[in-house]
Amino acid sequence: TSVQCDWCVAFPWFGMDIGGTLVKLVYFEPKDITAEEEQEEVENLKSIRRYLTSNIAYGTTGIRDVHLELQDLTLCGRKGNLHFIRFPTHDLPVFLQMGRNKHFSSLHTTLCATGGGAYKFENDFRTMADLQLHKLDELDCLVRGVLYIDSVMSSGPSECYYFENPTDPDHCVQKPYLLENPYPLLLVNIGSGVSILAVYSENNYKRVTGTSLGGGTFLGLCCLLTGCSTFEEALEMASEGESTRVDKLVRDIYGGDYERFGLPGWAVASSFGNMMSKEKRESVSKEDLARATLVTITNNIGSITRMCALNENIERVVFVGNFLRVNTLSMKLLAYAMDYWSKGQLKALFLRHEGYFGAVGALLELLHPS
Amino acid sequence: MAFNGHQHDNEIVDEDETPSKLPRCNKEMHGHLRNDPQNEAAAPAGPSTSDRWASNATPRHRKDSVKKTRPPFPWFGMDIGGTLVKLVYFEPKDITAEEEQEEVENLKSIRRYLTSNIAYGTTGIRDVHLELQDLTLCGRKGNLHFIRFPTHDLPVFLQMGRNKHFSSLHTTLCATGGGAYKFENDFRTMADLQLHKLDELDCLVRGVLYIDSVMSSGPSECYYFENPTDPDHCVQKPYLLENPYPLLLVNIGSGVSILAVYSENNYKRVTGTSLGGGTFLGLCCLLTGCSTFEEALEMASEGESTRVDKLVRDIYGGDYERFGLPGWAVASSFGNMMSKEKRESVSKEDLARATLVTITNNIGSITRMCALNENIERVVFVGNFLRVNTLSMKLLAYAMDYWSKGQLKALFLRHEGYFGAVGALLELLHPS
Repeated sequence: TSVQCDWCVAFPWFGMDIGGTLVKLVYFEPKDITAEEEQEEVENLKSIRRYLTSNIAYGTTGIRDVHLELQDLTLCGRKGNLHFIRFPTHDLPVFLQMGRNKHFSSLHTTLCATGGGAYKFENDFRTMADLQLHKLDELDCLVRGVLYIDSVMSSGPSECYYFENPTDPDHCVQKPYLLENPYPLLLVNIGSGVSILAVYSENNYKRVTGTSLGGGTFLGLCCLLTGCSTFEEALEMASEGESTRVDKLVRDIYGGDYERFGLPGWAVASSFGNMMSKEKRESVSKEDLARATLVTITNNIGSITRMCALNENIERVVFVGNFLRVNTLSMKLLAYAMDYWSKGQLKALFLRHEGYFGAVGALLELLHPS
Repeated sequence: MAFNGHQHDNEIVDEDETPSKLPRCNKEMHGHLRNDPQNEAAAPAGPSTSDRWASNATPRHRKDSVKKTRPPFPWFGMDIGGTLVKLVYFEPKDITAEEEQEEVENLKSIRRYLTSNIAYGTTGIRDVHLELQDLTLCGRKGNLHFIRFPTHDLPVFLQMGRNKHFSSLHTTLCATGGGAYKFENDFRTMADLQLHKLDELDCLVRGVLYIDSVMSSGPSECYYFENPTDPDHCVQKPYLLENPYPLLLVNIGSGVSILAVYSENNYKRVTGTSLGGGTFLGLCCLLTGCSTFEEALEMASEGESTRVDKLVRDIYGGDYERFGLPGWAVASSFGNMMSKEKRESVSKEDLARATLVTITNNIGSITRMCALNENIERVVFVGNFLRVNTLSMKLLAYAMDYWSKGQLKALFLRHEGYFGAVGALLELLHPS
């Protein structure tokens, strides 16, 4: 699946995606280093490799998602492991300081970076770590990364999966999905904000639309409403709450279904609509509020996605982005919504490497410049 | 039987007449607005039109078929929504001495109570600025009043109806909105009233088209914002909504419904969103401690949402040129609020503003997609979320214009949230 290169890009091989909330880093660890190569290897390169591969946490906020590691991957004629690392964009200065300390710039490698931060922090990379970024568009990288990972995973454990029986909590299971002949595809990237792309072929995609009500909205509102401070805390609270106390449902307004237009009584008519009543405000818990925030943001994304799928005449929708990381609740909600409101026409698909595709795409640009 | 506005009780209905959806009384005359400075010089219609109407409008003994089916007074239209009850009441002004004498006491009392007050109980309000005067409906001339109160206070209203023996008037009470279904039993048990239930979107469409038609030569019901992108030069301008079809109608109440209207009797509900006026108010109450819509708007008008939201420039350091996203565009609503430092630096007013901007822009975005899909260029926004909410209206006007590169036009109607109730009244007078 990887193209044999005529020339070798110097190690280390990184791909970086500097997003609104998180920095995603993919690092290729070569496992086929010969004795000769090892001897000639400069000290700081060896040090970087050791540091990254012998830790699963870096500083106070950096994390290596070991369960996502791709082993025995062949890239550009080299065999090795692909590692997936993330840390808050807020801590980029710490990362830059580290790069400076390890004299990363002396390795004279190109650092391929995408995401808004590649533009915003370009100067900081230069001044703080003497590094020149090769800036890449985030959606180009996203599409490229998705298609690549899907192709290399086609014979291993499934990268792509869906939820069977999304409407039945007791029988709702994750099932692998073979994403061959993926085109056309609707790709929904849920990060701090949301971008929705229609992908027609490897080199042909368009950004259909986006919405500013994304993962950042969920986390921001949760922090304000519940006093939590991390994504994981917010999800934890949401899993214990009941959104129907917070939302005004169709049945709260109609006393039942709104049959004429096919709106069942349990559908939400007005998100947070019950919260205009002081009495109800005092009766809901922080967990209920977290749940309602998650449901509101997720369903809004689902609704907008459905409209796009309809307009673009595309039946398969792939959801990616770190909003879905460890967020089975939202994934099941999306699976359910796509299925229910489209009467089974649309299928919601998910990918294991969720928010890392932009970084993968950046790495690919380093190895196979387009 | 006591006279209550129903003419010629014993007249036999002409069976050759076929009911139609259009106002059978094609003598509906446009009215004019009370205290509207624009209207000082305006005459209701051309004199020729008045004459034409007048020649047929002999007070008591007209022979047109209209009168056979005219329902007894009082004439109400009611829309019981998720948050507010909207009530329209027709006050006849052409009551003859004879009619007055025969009028039952409680009917008179109801009329006096409604028209001599502008506030009812603690939460009922009559929107006097929206009153339509000298309106001709079903051959009767009078004023149309617009009243609202929280759905939460419906029991108080029912009690009043009971006290005034409303049920003894044997009138049909045409009601729409979810509450017409939810509270049907309460009307019966608490006030002995039988509701004639109507679909809220049917009534909405009917009400919009009717008000638009009667206002067509008076002060404009329909308006838009010129220069929405320029705060110093952004002005409200009247808009003539003739040949209105096709039209995208966006009703922003507690929740949102988006309709594509192709002709008078042909519309479809395209989609909806649960992030509506109720979300704005609910979130504001939670985030700022306010308790009313007006308070929330007041706070929003004083806040700065860009401190709360994460903008494109916060992520890119400038524009995201490749896909035409300017630096000032919101990338992630409330996105800055994941930072403790920023949470502590924003005010309640900023939070209220961000809530308003987020909800409004989301509606705008979804609307734009619908307009694109349905291939419709004119969008009319109604519903009580826009009541006294110029901020949202300008935002919508701006968003429609900017993101569609001038293709879409955002239009607004003065009677905002009352169209469902108007449609219900019309169903009473001209059953479809």
